Amino acid sequence: MPVTRRQFIKRGAGLVTVGMVIPKLWLSDARAEQVEFIPHRKLVVIQLIGGNDGFNTVVPYTDARYHSLRPILGFTDSELVGANGVSTVVSDQFGLHPSMTEIKQLYEEGRVAVVLGVGYPNPNLSHFLSMDIWHTADPSGQGSRGWLGKYADLALIGQPNLTAASIGSLDLPKSFGADRFVVPNIINFSLYNFLADPNYPGDSNNQINAFNVAASRSMSSGSFIGAVNNTAFESVRGAQQVQRSISSYKSLVTYPANNPLATGLQMVAQLMTTVPEASLLYVQMGNFDNHSDQIGDRQGDRSNKRVGDHATLLKWFSEAIKLFHDDLTEHGLADDVLMMQWSEFGRRPGENASFGTDHGTAAPIFVMGNPVRGGIYGEQPSLAATELDPAGNVKFTVDFREAYATILDRWLGADSKTVLGSQYSNIGFLG
Amino acid sequence: MASITYDEGAHLLRRIGFGGSPAEIDEITALGREGAVDFLINYDRIDNRATDDLLRSSFDFSNPGDLPRFNLGELQRWWFTRMVYTRHPFEEKMTLFWHNHFATSASKTGDLFIYNQNLTLRNHALDQFDNLLLLVAQDPAMLLWLDGVTNVRGKPNENFARELQELFTMGLADAVTGEGNYTEDDVKEIARAFTGWKFFHPPFDPNPFSYQFIVNEPEHDNTTKSIYKGTPWAQSGNLNGDDVILTICARRATGRYIVKKLFEFFVYPLEGSAADKTTVDKFADVYFSRNHSIKELVRAIFTSDEFFSERARFALIKSPVEVIVGAIRMLGARYNPGTSARPGASNNTLAAISIFLGQALFNPPDVSGWKLNLGWINTSTLLNRFTYADLLVVSRTLDLSAPGLWLSHEQVRSFAKRNSKKTVKRLLSILGPLEVGGDIISALRNYLETDEFGNAVGFTLDDPTVDKKVRGLIHLIMCLSEFQLN
Repeated sequence: MPVTRRQFIKRGAGLVTVGMVIPKLWLSDARAEQVEFIPHRKLVVIQLIGGNDGFNTVVPYTDARYHSLRPILGFTDSELVGANGVSTVVSDQFGLHPSMTEIKQLYEEGRVAVVLGVGYPNPNLSHFLSMDIWHTADPSGQGSRGWLGKYADLALIGQPNLTAASIGSLDLPKSFGADRFVVPNIINFSLYNFLADPNYPGDSNNQINAFNVAASRSMSSGSFIGAVNNTAFESVRGAQQVQRSISSYKSLVTYPANNPLATGLQMVAQLMTTVPEASLLYVQMGNFDNHSDQIGDRQGDRSNKRVGDHATLLKWFSEAIKLFHDDLTEHGLADDVLMMQWSEFGRRPGENASFGTDHGTAAPIFVMGNPVRGGIYGEQPSLAATELDPAGNVKFTVDFREAYATILDRWLGADSKTVLGSQYSNIGFLG
Repeated sequence: MASITYDEGAHLLRRIGFGGSPAEIDEITALGREGAVDFLINYDRIDNRATDDLLRSSFDFSNPGDLPRFNLGELQRWWFTRMVYTRHPFEEKMTLFWHNHFATSASKTGDLFIYNQNLTLRNHALDQFDNLLLLVAQDPAMLLWLDGVTNVRGKPNENFARELQELFTMGLADAVTGEGNYTEDDVKEIARAFTGWKFFHPPFDPNPFSYQFIVNEPEHDNTTKSIYKGTPWAQSGNLNGDDVILTICARRATGRYIVKKLFEFFVYPLEGSAADKTTVDKFADVYFSRNHSIKELVRAIFTSDEFFSERARFALIKSPVEVIVGAIRMLGARYNPGTSARPGASNNTLAAISIFLGQALFNPPDVSGWKLNLGWINTSTLLNRFTYADLLVVSRTLDLSAPGLWLSHEQVRSFAKRNSKKTVKRLLSILGPLEVGGDIISALRNYLETDEFGNAVGFTLDDPTVDKKVRGLIHLIMCLSEFQLN
């Protein structure tokens, strides 16, 4: 579903009231197998919705097949130059889309790992089914718990304060589907609060007092009403605790208002820099499903590859990541944060007749941040005609679960085999 | 004919629909137990033309290829509009029940087929169960969702054969005896019976929604299948899907499972006690004596002493849809659904709120449906219910050009009574009737009587106070745990 950043309530600043109790997440009783929670190992997952065109993101500029499959959309090496005049070529085979000047810079600093050819067996070209597969790490598409939810059930139960959140979307990503752990969905901070009538801000204390009388009633949690009441208490206390924390955020970084990922990552930064326990955060951006208008402006200039839907999205992505990284650096957190980008599939190597591309299979993913060992990993899928599937799509070379396993084992300190159900190879981007 | 009290009438309307205004509750109560239930379940006899007219003017589903006018968001908006306006609330509630029972997700079927499935569910919601089940099994959405279309001779796909038994008819084990209902062999054999099931659009049919079921004979396995060997329901022969459905629907286990699902959706959660098992069998008897009629089964359930017992009162937790629609209907709030004339406009307030609260219509999380009761409640979704309550009470203006909610000043003023005690009791009744302790009533009265400096100034009925405090009171009551219960 395309990202909507629109609030369905138009509101002013949220109400900030003092919370006094550290909230506990509802549903306690720790399981025997717990995983140690390491608060300074933080992960930000960035989902690109719609299927990001990998071949124009990490351009195989020396591959003649790429050029023959994309006579209009394809980039030559001389075209892999950013608006700042700097080349976005990163190796003797690959270059980044010219929009991605900031990612190029981070790559030069060793902070970007590009993993080529990431996908899964029996590729599914349906957006939602493919997303489900990535979310649940289950290629059958029948999984119900998400990979991050399973991790959270093992590592985050009973942790005080906000450890995980989904930022900016209406519904909770299925990656967070869990048995016990509850991940809040924070559309924006002003909605993450006990809201009262904005017309009467002076009345809000009376509201909260009355609410508290009801919510702090002692009830047996064995009954429905008791369970609901306990949850009510915790939900508002938790939100107020977050409001109190985030109000102290200060930053030298200016995030542009027109960049939806920047807006989301700013919220992540605001949480991470003010709530020490906030360590598993999730943002989305879209819409990468460019069946048409992938390049060119809609006024009819079709030939300008520097502009177009994909160029805009990748610019937002590149810019936002850099600003977020700067913000983390300013706050001394850059060594603690790993970022992983994914998309439900790549796009077909062969361009279509509408200046766009159709649903594909494998694509590169970006794992970024100070903790990575920068470089190019995985294996570029072959574009040879004999290697493409009947739909004209490439075969994956790296199972996406290897990326999850690498991060679980080597960053989060969780046993990836327990979370994913099987052992997957270490890709190497964390050593 | 048993009479019912006002509270019982309210309970009936909350369960069979989304609750009612005091006038509606009075009307229903006057009909008595059997009369009220008969009236509500025979909704075809109730005039719903105003709703139909509104739907016609607000939606244009004539062309499924016209994406701005026919898409998932529009379907969700359509269903919410129906639920808010309809004079057939049980039709909507029963369709919601079947939508959760045959949980199918638009993400796999696409919008056209999920819409068709919704029509199938609502048009046959109270049929003989065998008939509804067969129509759902042959409906394109289910054939796509559980891979029926790829289930072919020589390469059977077991997905539908499994869920048919596990989720749609009997469950893994008998709801009363606990005996296993089927084996893996049964899944395999039944899969073969359903091979070749397909659908197609009749070539010259101008209706883009018209799809027909067909068995593609070359892909249908027409050899012998043997199911439920060694049980009283054993069948052997060249069984097809229809035969399997008839066999399953005749089993005691099916009557019990369907009763249990209905009970837990409409009455109260069942435990494994001997008394509850007796209850299940009592209503399963109705299923069998009335030829598997869902209408007669729900009639028996809704007129039962169990339904009107203390145990049933506020025994369930409202789903997001019930919170959203219930509040609108109980409070007499208005909802402007918008029109199809502005495609792509952000029409989708109620559907967005429902997603925010954890229920995306047409997209249940998986084939086992949404988890009911406490499944709806966590620190995140509950906070979001409070946010919805706030959104509703601050909807002060009617903007005819933009869809959305409106709780008018006149309506709010109508709830204000001459003192704080009467006002609190009035609204607790409107939003329930809810029973809360004296401490809560005091706290709510205190709220009405306290100014922004914390002084006790008393509750007065001037417009500004009504606007501030009565709206605020509605918000507070909707945040009570009692309000989350149904």
